[in-house]
Amino acid sequence: MKILVCIKQVPGTNKVEVDEKTGVLKRNGADSKMNPYDLYALETGVRLKEKYGGTVSVITMGPPQAKAVLYEAFSMGADEGALITDRKFGGADVLATSRTLSQGIKRFGDFDIILCGLQTTDGDTAQVGPEVAEQLKIPSVCNVQRIEKVEKDNIIVDMDMPQDIERIKIYFPCLLTVQKDIYQPRLPSYLKQKETSKKDIDVFTFSDMEDQDENKYGLNGSPTHVQRIFPPVSDKVQQHWQGTTEELAVKIYETLKEKKFIA
Amino acid sequence: MAKLVVHQEKITDAKALAALCPFGAMQEKDGKITITAGCRMCRICVKKGPKGAVEYVEDKKVPAIDKTKWRGIAVYVDHVDGAVHPVTYELLGKAKELAAKIHQPVYALFIGSNIEHAAEELLHYGADKVYVCDKPELEYFKIEAYTSVFEEFINKVKPSAILVGATSVGRQLAPRTAARFNTGLTADCTILDIKENTDLVQIRPAFGGNIMAEILTPNNRPQMATVRYKVMDAPKWIDSVSGQIEKLEIAEEKLKANIEVLGITQKPKEKTIDAADVIVVAGRGVKKRQDLKLIEDLAKSLGGELASTRPLVEAGWVDPKRQIGLSGRTVRPKLIITCGVSGSVQFVAGMNHAETIIAINSDPKAAIFKTANYAITADIYDIIPELIQKIKTGGTIL
Amino acid sequence: MKPYKQVDEKDLNNIAEFIDRDRLLWAKEVNEEYSHDELSAGQYYPDIVARVVSTEEVAKLMRYASQNNIAITPRGAGTGLVGASVAIEHGIMLDTTLMNHFLELDEQNLTLTLEPGVLLMELADYVEKRGYFYPPDPGEKSATIGGNISTNAGGMRAVKFGVTRDYIRGLEIVLADGTVMTVGGKAVKNSSGYDLKDVIIGSEGTLAVITKAILKLLPLPQKTVSLLVPFPTLAQAIGAVPPIIKSKAIPTAIEFMEREVIIDAEEYLGRKFPDNQADAYLLLKFDGNTLEEIASYYDGVAQICLEQGAADILIADTEERAEAIWKARGAFLEAIKSSTTMMDEVDVVVPRSMVNDFVEYIHDLQKEIGVRIKCFGHAGDGNLHAYILKDQLNDEQWQKVLKATMEKMYTKARSLKGNVSGEHGIGYAKKEYLKESMPDKAIAIMQGIKQVFDPLNILNPHKVCQD
Repeated sequence: MKILVCIKQVPGTNKVEVDEKTGVLKRNGADSKMNPYDLYALETGVRLKEKYGGTVSVITMGPPQAKAVLYEAFSMGADEGALITDRKFGGADVLATSRTLSQGIKRFGDFDIILCGLQTTDGDTAQVGPEVAEQLKIPSVCNVQRIEKVEKDNIIVDMDMPQDIERIKIYFPCLLTVQKDIYQPRLPSYLKQKETSKKDIDVFTFSDMEDQDENKYGLNGSPTHVQRIFPPVSDKVQQHWQGTTEELAVKIYETLKEKKFIA
Repeated sequence: MAKLVVHQEKITDAKALAALCPFGAMQEKDGKITITAGCRMCRICVKKGPKGAVEYVEDKKVPAIDKTKWRGIAVYVDHVDGAVHPVTYELLGKAKELAAKIHQPVYALFIGSNIEHAAEELLHYGADKVYVCDKPELEYFKIEAYTSVFEEFINKVKPSAILVGATSVGRQLAPRTAARFNTGLTADCTILDIKENTDLVQIRPAFGGNIMAEILTPNNRPQMATVRYKVMDAPKWIDSVSGQIEKLEIAEEKLKANIEVLGITQKPKEKTIDAADVIVVAGRGVKKRQDLKLIEDLAKSLGGELASTRPLVEAGWVDPKRQIGLSGRTVRPKLIITCGVSGSVQFVAGMNHAETIIAINSDPKAAIFKTANYAITADIYDIIPELIQKIKTGGTIL
Repeated sequence: MKPYKQVDEKDLNNIAEFIDRDRLLWAKEVNEEYSHDELSAGQYYPDIVARVVSTEEVAKLMRYASQNNIAITPRGAGTGLVGASVAIEHGIMLDTTLMNHFLELDEQNLTLTLEPGVLLMELADYVEKRGYFYPPDPGEKSATIGGNISTNAGGMRAVKFGVTRDYIRGLEIVLADGTVMTVGGKAVKNSSGYDLKDVIIGSEGTLAVITKAILKLLPLPQKTVSLLVPFPTLAQAIGAVPPIIKSKAIPTAIEFMEREVIIDAEEYLGRKFPDNQADAYLLLKFDGNTLEEIASYYDGVAQICLEQGAADILIADTEERAEAIWKARGAFLEAIKSSTTMMDEVDVVVPRSMVNDFVEYIHDLQKEIGVRIKCFGHAGDGNLHAYILKDQLNDEQWQKVLKATMEKMYTKARSLKGNVSGEHGIGYAKKEYLKESMPDKAIAIMQGIKQVFDPLNILNPHKVCQD
């Protein structure tokens, strides 16, 4: 079984601020790390490999330094890795990202299962996974909360839906996005880290892509445009209420209603 | 291909220019600047750097699309076996408001099996036309089949914008559909507006809510956005309807899927406090073990979970798994109501990230009031029965 | 000795002259939590609780107590484990938790002056936001700094940084008769007579009440990395500690833990531990300015662990990863507590090289006496926390078993040249064992010191060295 896990390097902290005057994004510190949600996808991939055999590959898209997350994945049990990087890919939105990723995946190899984390901590959209599946024309299931078993040409999983859990058989090749806490991610291993620190990785640039239309990548290939960023308006309220029982009960009730906790 | 060209001779302070880049994508070496693949084309260096130092060059203008060919605001109807999810009504309300600004109709897309009877209701919430695709193959949500129906709908109706609820279904279906039409999709919008030229103004939080971004899809149609439940307001139910229901046909081979739904199981009732959206906490203000029932009743009436502070767990009244605080669980619910909780530091550390905090305590100086959004000085034994009564007679749980 | 005066309504009114009435808890207003600490079995209600806010109030209260022969028990957050802050003689309880202000951050002398009621978690938050570091790190983060100074608490980072005593520059204290005095100060060196500050540290509120403390700070290390090292047996895990220490690598923490206790924590927290391949683990923490710098420190340690039989070395290099481990570590006490009906603890400290002997002894003792004992602790400084569990025993059996187990454990610790308590203190619960572990002369000197500081014996009676 060939498993691929899509991972991303994200800022080490979410504590970004917008400079009110200039509208420029201020980041605190230059630290970066693997998207925490991807750890669950990677863990799922490695567990599947341990149970059913096969290989786990990892792929990421980003600047050259993003290869750090590939090596981190090696120390958690991934076997090979590829980095998609090119200045032409800069400024990509969800569509352009999923297109670039799927082009990179095609170049990287054929996979039975592609695993993605539920979302990233920086973009926060949870959309790249399903869009990659669409670009690759393969079936997808999101919000997978449990893997039941793998059969010859399919995998059976539980999909978390609002009211119930659907048991789903999905045929290979397929893409799954897994929920947080599907498994507790393992810690990087020192032994594996030493063993894989010099491992070769594949690097794919624009010239490696099957689709050579420059207008489909990066900023040009992105239908959505960010017009401006601004700090959120704090809606933190602090009110102190006193009164008769009846008055207070009504006030709480109205507040619950206004905040849509009751209809 | 648009690109950034660096004019080294116009750079006065290369280090300062490199420091401008929020993504660290500019490297300075010997006073010269190079741009790496970390560049996200935010163009802050163009706007804020020395004049002319970094130039944005667009070598080919993309032809503008004809936006008048795309008309109307469509809403995807989220439902389980015909029971419509209330986010749909909220979106219909928003769609109606947006459509009124540009004088265009509101559509609803209803996909499923044996659902036709439920379509009428959507007209009462303001849809001008409900497209119903009712097929046995669509009994369960299978992404490939549902995307095909969505595709059929877009090709037939050509809506300018489509709103989808950010539910477990919407969050899968919207991106696949957007990718099929090579168009933009903005997730979890909190504010939506529309321009005269039918451009949808989409505002959403990013970086875990630390910043807000305003996003347009200026040269692609349809424009797509997802919106979470309880963000928009549902419109009033209108008695008289003027809209119509129309069948949406689709060729059977397009409904084939590489997914089989093998079974459906109900979620277990027993929930943990870690995942609960609503938590009601019993504190030392609860005098007797039997009185916990009162707090539990309030939790139930709000569809929430009971939790407690350390002393009640130590007294053996409450399961340790329901203890909030530094030595217990850390919770992040949408709503937490603390009842007779004094608010020790170790307790507050486990719950101060809740979205809305209502604290009820008879002591007006209780420490918990410093953390609460709504601090209510009252005796829990008086106010909680009253509140439960109000909730029971006044409304239903959402 | 004449009996202490019980606080009556008249005393209440008198005290209310100088402490606001609404900060006095009287009779029914005294909450249940004031009748015990985190672990003590008995219940003793104080007659009155005074929630003081200033040194002046403390001084007036002490003067009043000494003039009227009323016992007075100082108390912080009540998180102690040996009954030091329990009002055995009822009387007045002096609650310092409202004295929780930061008074001065002196960046030139790297000191922080604060009031005793500041909680450890607030202290850590305050200094770390400003780029400083207060190294002592006991597990109970909702304890007060005043309480920590009073027990000379140690915590996880003692291996590298030492204990609370090493970070106290000066104290403002109030003596039993109401005299306010400063001992020590911002100066780094002091060679001027007996060091009274060091006598106060660890005296568990029996000599004076601390009303201000001057702490020494360090610059905040930029990065920390924790290593979780799985070993096939606990003996191998603990056996790796002396060679690690010998290698001159200085981790900030070396903790040991067993599978059983980890499972309790998983159950208690409802969260999986990041590893389950081994029966025993060492948990090490390193600090430094960059991840690369830290990696260069632990490379050698990793080799030693592998030589000692470790299956691997797992690296927790992000906040999330470290949190998954340390949250479990932090929950051990509560987790063990919730796995049984009642428990008592032993907090002995033995030389590092003797830790294995002691842990083995505990294992055998369980079988010998027929009681469950769970154990974890600071392998790096020889401080063990062993918890004796009551489970299904009836009260009578429990008392018998507990006494027998404690006797044996303290006897063993003594034979290994260890001390009765590493960081929890003596309080009320461990007095007997302290006495057994020390020469009579040493106890007599302690009693003499107590007599000089508090001739009327009104301050926290029946604790530490007193009968």
